[in-house]
Formats: sequence, C-alpha cells, structure tokens
Amino acid sequence: MGRRILSHIGLILAVTIVLFPILWVLRTSLVPAQDSFSSAILPSVTLDNYRALFAEKNFGRNYMNSLIVASLSVIVTMPLAAMTGYAFARFRTGGRLARFATLASQMLPPVALALPTFMLFRNFGLTNSLTGLTIVYAAINLPFLTWILMGFFEAIPEDLEGAAMTDGATRWGAFWRIVLPVATPGIMAAAVLGFILSWNEFLFALILGGSKTATVPVALASLQTSNGVQISNVAAGVSLAILPLMIAAKFIQKYLVEGLSFGSVK
Amino acid sequence: MSEIKLQKISRDYGLGNFGVRDVSLEIEEGEFMVLLGPSGCGKSTTLRMIAGLEETTEGQISIAGRDVTRLAPRHRNVAVVFQSYALYPHMSVRENMRFGMKMRNTPRDEQDRRIAQAAAVLGLEPYLNRKPAALSGGQRQRVALGRAIVREPDVFLMDEPLSNLDAKLRGEMRQELVKLHRRVGKTTVFVTHDHVEAMTMGDRICIMRNGRIEQVGAPLEVYARPRNTFVAQFLAAPAMNLIKARLTADGDKVMLDAGPISGPLPEREAALYRSAAGPGLLFGLRAEDIQTQPTPGAQAFQGTVSVLEALGPENLIVIESAGQTLSARVDRHFLPKVGDMITLYADLAHMHLFDAASGDVIAREA
Repeated sequence: MGRRILSHIGLILAVTIVLFPILWVLRTSLVPAQDSFSSAILPSVTLDNYRALFAEKNFGRNYMNSLIVASLSVIVTMPLAAMTGYAFARFRTGGRLARFATLASQMLPPVALALPTFMLFRNFGLTNSLTGLTIVYAAINLPFLTWILMGFFEAIPEDLEGAAMTDGATRWGAFWRIVLPVATPGIMAAAVLGFILSWNEFLFALILGGSKTATVPVALASLQTSNGVQISNVAAGVSLAILPLMIAAKFIQKYLVEGLSFGSVK
Repeated sequence: MSEIKLQKISRDYGLGNFGVRDVSLEIEEGEFMVLLGPSGCGKSTTLRMIAGLEETTEGQISIAGRDVTRLAPRHRNVAVVFQSYALYPHMSVRENMRFGMKMRNTPRDEQDRRIAQAAAVLGLEPYLNRKPAALSGGQRQRVALGRAIVREPDVFLMDEPLSNLDAKLRGEMRQELVKLHRRVGKTTVFVTHDHVEAMTMGDRICIMRNGRIEQVGAPLEVYARPRNTFVAQFLAAPAMNLIKARLTADGDKVMLDAGPISGPLPEREAALYRSAAGPGLLFGLRAEDIQTQPTPGAQAFQGTVSVLEALGPENLIVIESAGQTLSARVDRHFLPKVGDMITLYADLAHMHLFDAASGDVIAREA
C-alpha cells in the first residue's frame, strides 16, 4: 500500500513536470496580454488572444494550410511507404544498399536541401503553393515512414501470406486482404508520425511558402515582431497548434501503442 | 485423382546452395506421405515447393496429372496447414474458414454448410465467432485444419502442424489427424522431424537429409531395413547402436568382432554376410534387440550400467562395455543400479551391417 502511494506520488510529480509548460502556455493564452508574464495562475479569463489571432493575423488560413498540407502529404506518402516498406521487408528489394540509402537520406540536414529545392520548385512554379509544400513533405516523410513500416511488415509472419495465397489470393490480394489489416496499428502509427512531422515542419514552409501558404509554425514565428514577441498570441497559436495532435493521439492511442511496439503481431 | 509427382526437383538458392536437390517422389492418390528429417534437410522446402510458395528452380511437379511447376499457389488447389497455424488474426474462426471459399467464389450457402460440417467434426462450434487470439493452441490447430478441410482441396500439405502442441495434445491430435485422413481420403503430405509421428501416421515415409531423399517406404519396412546409418539412427530413439566391426569367414562359420559383441553369427546371418567378410564395417543393433535373457542365436556380453531411465512401460539403460556405449530397451521389471556390471544378450538375428566408409547397408535379403 505504502509503495503504491509512493509510486503514485512519483507519477503525479512526473506528469506535472511534463504537463506544466503545456498548461502554462494554455493559461497564458487565456489571460489578458498584460498578465502574460505575471505569476498569478488565472487573474482573469479572456478569449481575446484567440480572437486577435484570427481577426488580425489571419491564423485561420494558416491553420487550414497546415491541415491541408499535413493531411495530403500523409495521404500521398502512406500508400507509397506501405508498398515500399513491404517490398523491402518481403523481397529484399534493392538489397542492403537500398535500405541504407533510405536511412541515409534521413541523415542529411534539411538545410542542405533547402536551396536546391527552392530553385527547383521556383522553376516549376511550385513556390508559394500548397502543392509544392505537399510534395516536399511527402518526399521528406517517405523514407522515414518506409523504414518504420518495413520493420512492421517484417514482424508479420510470412506464413500468413502463404496461407492466403494457397487459399486463393494473389500476392496483391494477400497484401491487401491480410497484410494491410494486420498491419493497421503500424500503419496508423506511421500515419500519425508523418502528420506530426509535416505539421511541425518549419524550414521548408518558410522558404517555399508565401503569405498565402504560410503554415502554423511559420505564422507563429512571425509573431516575433520588431516590437517584441507577442507572447499571448503565440500562446494561443501554440495551444491551437497542439490541438489536432492531441485529438489524433486520443483517437489512435490504442494503435499508437500497438504500432510502436514493433513485432507484437502474433 | 490427386497423386503428386515430383520429378528431379531442385531449389537452388545460388552459389551452389541447394535447399532441395534432385528429389523424385511419387505420392499416390489418397496416400499419407510423411517427409521426415532433421532441421534443414529440405523437407519443409519440398512441401513449400509443392504448394508453390517456394520456387522450383529445376524439375517438374505435377498434381493430379497436371504440371503445376510454374503455377501460382492459388491455381494448385492445395491447402497448407502451417506450423505457426498462420490464422488470419483479424478474422473470426468462421471468417478464417470462409476466406478460401470466398476467394474461390463458392456459393454462400455452400460455404455455410461446409463451415458447419467442419466445425462439428473438429469440435469448433462454440468458437466460430472468436478471434484466433482468444483460442488455445489446440483450438488454433483445429481451426487451421478446418480452414484446410472446408476448401476441399486436391491435396493437404501439413508443415509440422503438431510441433507447437504439448505432448498430450500432440498424441491426441496425431490420432485425430489419422482418423480425419481416413474420412477425407485426400492425398496428404506431412512434414515432421518427429520419428514417432512419422512411424504412426504415414502410409509411407520419406526420409531426407541435406536436400536429398535417403529412403522411401512403409514405416515398418524402413525401420526394419534402413538403407544407411543415417536412416537407421534417425528413425528411432534411442538411435540404433553402431559399433565398428570386422567379419572373419572361418570355414562354415562367420565370426563377428564388434568390440563387446563378438562371436559366431547365426546360420542365416552367416550365409548372408559371408561375402562382406573383412574390416571396415559397422555393426548395428537396435536398443530393443538387446535382451536381458538368453535366446537362441543371441550373443552374451557384459557391461556397466551408466544410465537407467525408468520410463514406466519399459526401461532404457545405457551400458559401457569395452569402450563402447550401448543403449538397450528392456523390460520394466529389469532394474539394475547404476554402476552394476550386468550381462545382456545381443540378438544377432536382428543385426544390421553397414559399410563404415559410406554408411550404406550391406545388402540383406528382403
């Protein structure tokens, strides 16, 4: 009993340490601008910061941009990553070199790609467009998600496909009807990770985007003005920015846990 | 008709690495053929080649007179029961069984009829709506069988389907499978590394080593007349006793010198092995052919008991004698103590003789 109480105290402490900054951001977004830096917990509550963000800063547009770009890039990437990951896992396509190349592409600092990408996209008229950003995010996420899904497909027993194929399915049918449903937790986890990566991406959004295509991270950065950081607006923006991630996490919590514990398919 | 014909089939992994090499085998309609061998001998690969799950790089496979060598698994009309059962984890027992029929466009009412029938036979009725994760090992095994049966395939292929079960269940399922095979009457290929399964289940057994077939025949025939030392040793536990030996022809007599077991061969064996007289031989005797009481033609020898395993219905004893270690399967009432010097009798009428260099049997009459 004593041990349980102790461990609960420990857990509460840990949760508080983790959640405090987030809660404080939420608190700052809900108090008037002049109270932002005060130590009072909730001197008064107002939605003015949110209102200002949408009315004056066009945050609604930024929010939609982020949602569109992150969702579309995941929608484009997932089928490709699933098929590539499956090919790597089952057929050793491209051998070790292809696998290494996939991983190696993630080791390159994004800033090294920023300039060439900008010049390429400018030639194709893809700067300042959501299509351009979607393509970049899909390209950035593809190797990473392929890698994650490859591990997941490797954990699925090959006999399952053998059973499906002797049962009458084609190789594609076995993949579609058996492997994909079994891999759903992994695919969902990968999709959420891909969404989060795109949602949070800043560098390419800044370089390739313009005022019409600015995403949430760019919009938040623009709140650091020559008059200082508009902390109450930033807090409101950040609170809104983490909202879809929390909702996604809540809905797919089960998948996320199953999916991240690779090899758990029995 | 659903006989299987393997004609010189090979699975070449490249760089001279063969999973299966030049295997030829004819499995008759309705036959229960067991592929037996140690890990890595190519038995599972052979089965997977018949199923189409493994590429056949050379040779030809035909099922029911039809060349299926290059056909996809789904066109071979075979059902596979895997060691891991390979049940679809996201489907219920009923859906698992239905899947193969659905893929083949079997009418829905026929699907239901077959599922109900198989569930009744296999005792799966209470579990039809459960997912595989909610079943015990034995139940999963039955579902895997049910999934194969409802398909009504030409051929059943079973890849060590009993090896994940505990000993008691394995014994029960062994008998169930044999009964099921009698009822369904379909050609079955059963892969195992367990000689007891092979002996008790197979109409014939095919013993494999290093990707090749060592011997094919009815279980008792192979047991009684192993073609070489590998088969002799693999098909029994404890393995056949093998001792370096020499035969000397001396007038009418043929003398055996096999370490502790030495003496004249009985008349019939003397006639049989006279031509093999010389050194470089291996004398083989199964554990049950070492007896505790003298019988005509048996050769007495002495040894020290080093291990005694009282199994209940019988005892296994290991004897050290003249630098040789011999196993004997004796009556359960014969209970010497470890360290005792005892006299045993080698029944030479059941002896085997092999060439020490090649391991091949020295021919004996049928």
